[in-house]
Amino acid sequence: MAVTTTRSARSVAATGSVRARKMADALATGVLWAMASSIIVLLAAFLLYMVYLGGHALTPSFIFGVPKETTAGGGVGPEIYNSFYILVLTLLFTVPIAVAAGVYIQEYARPGTFRNVVQFSAESLATVPSVVMGLFGLLVFVYLFKWKFTALGGALTLTLLNLPALMRVTQEALSSVPDTLREASMALGGTKWQTITRVVLPSAIGRLTTGVVLIAGRIFGETAALIFTAGLSVPFNNPYDLNPMRPAETLAVHLWYTHSESIVPDVDRIGNGSALVLLIMVLLFNVAARVLGRQLTKRFTGRAS
Amino acid sequence: MIALQARRSRRTERIAVTGLRIAAGFVILAMAALLGYLAFEGTKTFYVDKFPLWSFLFSPEFAPDANHPGAAVFVTGTLAVTLFAIAIGGPFGIAVGIFLAEIAPHRMTQVLKPAIEVMVGIPSVVYGWLGLTLLVPLIRTHTSSPSGFGLAAAGIVLAIMILPTVITLSEDAFRSLPGALKEGSLALGATRWQTITRVLLPSASSGLAVALILGIARAVGETLAIQMVIGNATQFPKGLFAPTAALTTEIVTDMPGATAGSLLEHALFSMAFLLLLIAMVLIVMVRFALRRRA
Amino acid sequence: MKRKPARAALHLGVALASIALAACSSSSKTQDAGTSGPGSGTITVAGSTAMLPLVKDASAAYQEQHKSVKISVSGGGSATGINQVAAKAIDVGDSDITAPNHPELVDHRVAVVGFAVITNPTVGVKGLSKQQLRDVFAGNVANWKDVGGADQKIVVVNRPRSSGTRAVFVKTIMGTAPLSESGLVEDATGTVVSVVKQTPGSVSYVALSGVTAGGVAIVAVDGVAPSAGTIVSGKYPIWSYEHMFTNGEAKGEVAAFIDYVSTRTDLVQKNKFIAVSVMKVKETDR
Repeated sequence: MAVTTTRSARSVAATGSVRARKMADALATGVLWAMASSIIVLLAAFLLYMVYLGGHALTPSFIFGVPKETTAGGGVGPEIYNSFYILVLTLLFTVPIAVAAGVYIQEYARPGTFRNVVQFSAESLATVPSVVMGLFGLLVFVYLFKWKFTALGGALTLTLLNLPALMRVTQEALSSVPDTLREASMALGGTKWQTITRVVLPSAIGRLTTGVVLIAGRIFGETAALIFTAGLSVPFNNPYDLNPMRPAETLAVHLWYTHSESIVPDVDRIGNGSALVLLIMVLLFNVAARVLGRQLTKRFTGRAS
Repeated sequence: MIALQARRSRRTERIAVTGLRIAAGFVILAMAALLGYLAFEGTKTFYVDKFPLWSFLFSPEFAPDANHPGAAVFVTGTLAVTLFAIAIGGPFGIAVGIFLAEIAPHRMTQVLKPAIEVMVGIPSVVYGWLGLTLLVPLIRTHTSSPSGFGLAAAGIVLAIMILPTVITLSEDAFRSLPGALKEGSLALGATRWQTITRVLLPSASSGLAVALILGIARAVGETLAIQMVIGNATQFPKGLFAPTAALTTEIVTDMPGATAGSLLEHALFSMAFLLLLIAMVLIVMVRFALRRRA
Repeated sequence: MKRKPARAALHLGVALASIALAACSSSSKTQDAGTSGPGSGTITVAGSTAMLPLVKDASAAYQEQHKSVKISVSGGGSATGINQVAAKAIDVGDSDITAPNHPELVDHRVAVVGFAVITNPTVGVKGLSKQQLRDVFAGNVANWKDVGGADQKIVVVNRPRSSGTRAVFVKTIMGTAPLSESGLVEDATGTVVSVVKQTPGSVSYVALSGVTAGGVAIVAVDGVAPSAGTIVSGKYPIWSYEHMFTNGEAKGEVAAFIDYVSTRTDLVQKNKFIAVSVMKVKETDR
C-alpha cells in the first residue's frame, strides 16, 4: 500500500509545472492557516461577546444572590453552589470506579472476552447521548428508587455518563508510564499491586489529574442529564443545604430553565450572566488542569511535563 | 518472617485484583442495565400499544393522542441537522487536523490546542444561548425566515460543537501514519500539499472515518443546544431556514409532560432507545474502521 | 400480570447495578422517608408555568412565616405536574387543566387564570373573532392581511403537547380543529412571550400572569379584551381554574400550604389571577 501511494506521488510530482505546484502548495497552506486561525478568532469572539453581554451582570448580588422567579434582580448563588456540590458528589463516585476499572484493564486484564466486553461497554456508554442517560436516571432514581429529584440522583446519572471518559483518561495516563519502571519495580521484588500503587500511579498522577479536572469542567456544565434527575429548583429556605436528597438546580440547568421556563423580566441579564460565569469556570478548569497536572508530575516523579 | 510478608502481600494482591475487577464489571453492568431498561421501556410502543414498528419509523404523523405516534419527522430532523453539521464541521475539522499534524509551528499548536480544549468544555447550553442571542436574530434579519429558528441555526451550532471531536481525532489519524510515507513522497519531489492530498489523506482514511463517525455520534446525541434554536415544530424541514425537530429535542420538549404509561411516554422512550441503538451502531462502525487500520 | 416476573427481574438487575451506589446513600434513605410522611418539613411542587408566579410568591411568604418548612417550586408544564404527583415524585402538582385520567389525585382549585392571545406589535390586529382565531392557529390563513392586519406572514407559536395553556386554548377556541404543526414550539410562558416579542408576525397564547412587561399586543376575542371583569362575568372565553393536585388527601403542611395559596387573595390578584370565590360563571370541568 505504501509502495503504490508513493508511486502515485511520483507520477503527480512529475506532472504540472513546478511553479504551479508550488503556488498550489502555498495557497493550500494559506487556506489551512486561515481555517485554523478562524477557530481561535471564533472562540475569542465568543468570549468577548459574552463578556460584552454578561459583563455588567457579574455583580456580587448576582453571583451570591438567591434567584427570583417572578421579579427582576435575582442571583445565581445557590445554582453555583449546586454545580460544585453535584460535581464533588459525582467525582466521589466516578474517580474510584473509573480509576480502578482503568487500572484493571490496562495493567491486569489479559486479552479476552471479559476485557473486550468491558471496553465495548465503556465505548458504548461513552456515546450514550446525555438526554438518554437523563431518562435512564429518571427511570431508576426518580421512579424506581422513589427519590424524587435529588442532587444524589443527578450525581449518579453523571457518574454513569462520565465513567468511560475517566476510564479512558486513566488508561492513557497508565500507558504513558514506561514499562522499564514497572520492570525495575518487579525486579526489586515488588508485587504487581505494590508496583502499581507505589510506582505506576505516582508517575501517572499528573496526567490523571489533568484528565480529571478537564472532565470536571464538563460535569460542571452538564445539563440534559440533570433536568430529569436533579430537577429545576433550589430549596428556598436553605439554598446551601448539604443534604444530597433534595432537588439541586445547577447553573447550566438554570441557564436553560431561564430561557425556557422562567418568567422573570430580566431573563437576558440572568442568561447572559449565567453563560459568562459558565464560560469563566470552563477557562478556570482548563488552566487548573494544566497547572495541577504539571505540579503533580514534578512532585511525584521529579520530571518536568 | 519473609514468608509471612510474602503471604500477606499475596493476599493484598488478591483482594486488590478482585476490587479492580468488580469496578471493571460495574461498567458492563451499567451498560447492560441501561440497554435492558431502555429496551424494556422503549419497545412498549410496539408490544403494549401494538403500534407497528414500520409506522413508528416511517409515518410522519405524530399524534399520540390519536394513537398514532409516527416519528419519521424526528428521525428526518435528526438526520438533517446531523448531515448539515457534518457537511460543514467534517471537512473543516479534518482540514484543521491536517494543519495541526503537518503544518502548524509549535507556537501555533500551543495556542490552538488549548483553544480546542476550551471548546470541548463549553457547556451545551452556552452554545445554545449563543445560538439564540447571536445566530437566530442574524438569520431572522438576513433571510426570508420570519423567526430565525430552524434547521440552519441548529446545524451551524452543531457544526461548531463537533469541531473539537473531528479535529482531535483526525490529527491523531495523521500523526499515527508512519513517517516514511511522508518522507518518501517529499523525497520524490512532491510538494507538501501534494503529499497531503495524494499520500497522507488516503492512508489516513480509516482514522478519518473514525473522526467523522464520532463527530456524527456527538451530533446525533446533542440536545439542549439545538433544542433552543431548532424551533421544535413537528414538521419535516421545509427548507434550510424552516423550523423542525429532532429525536433529542422532541424528548426534551414533551417528556416532562408525558403521562406515565401513556402512548406519548412510550413513544418518547422508543425514541430514546432508537438513539441508543444508533450510538451503538456507530461504535460498532468505529471498531470496524479501527480493525481495518490495524 | 404475566409480565411481572420479567419486570421484577429487570428491576432486580437495575437494583444490583446500583447496589454499590445505593450503599453510599444508605444515610439518605432515612431522610427520604422523612420527606414523604405527613407533616413533614419539605414540600416539592412542580407543574404549570402559568401558576409559577403565584405559587412562588405564596411559597416565599409561607416560608417566611414557617421557618421549619422547605418548599421547592418548579415549572415543567401542567402535564408534568400531574404525572409527577401521580408517580409520587413530587408532593403537589400544579395544573391549568383537570386530571380525568387520574382518579387517585385530589383536586384543589386555588385560583382562576385568564389567557390572552398575544401578537408581535407589528401585526396590527386589535381583535379577532373565534372563527378567525381558529383559522389562524389551524394554518388556514397564512398572512395577517387576510384577517385585517399588516401584510405579514403569520408565525404561529405553540406550546408543547404537555402544556395546560395549550389544552385550555384548544378546548375553548379550537374545538375539534387541529393546531397547525408548522409553527414554532416553545417550552413555556416566558419563552413564548420573548419569542413573540422578537419575531415579526408571530402570534401565541399565554396566561395573563405571564404578560408582565410590554412588547406584545393583546388581541380581543369577539370584541372582548381579557380582564378580571370580563372573565368573572363569563364574557371572555379563554380561562381555566388553577389546580393543585395531591396524591390522596392533602395532609399536614401540604394541606396547610395549599389552603394558604388560595386564601392569599392579595397575592392572587397581584399576579393577575382571580380568586375562585368571586367567579360568577361556574364550570366543573375546567
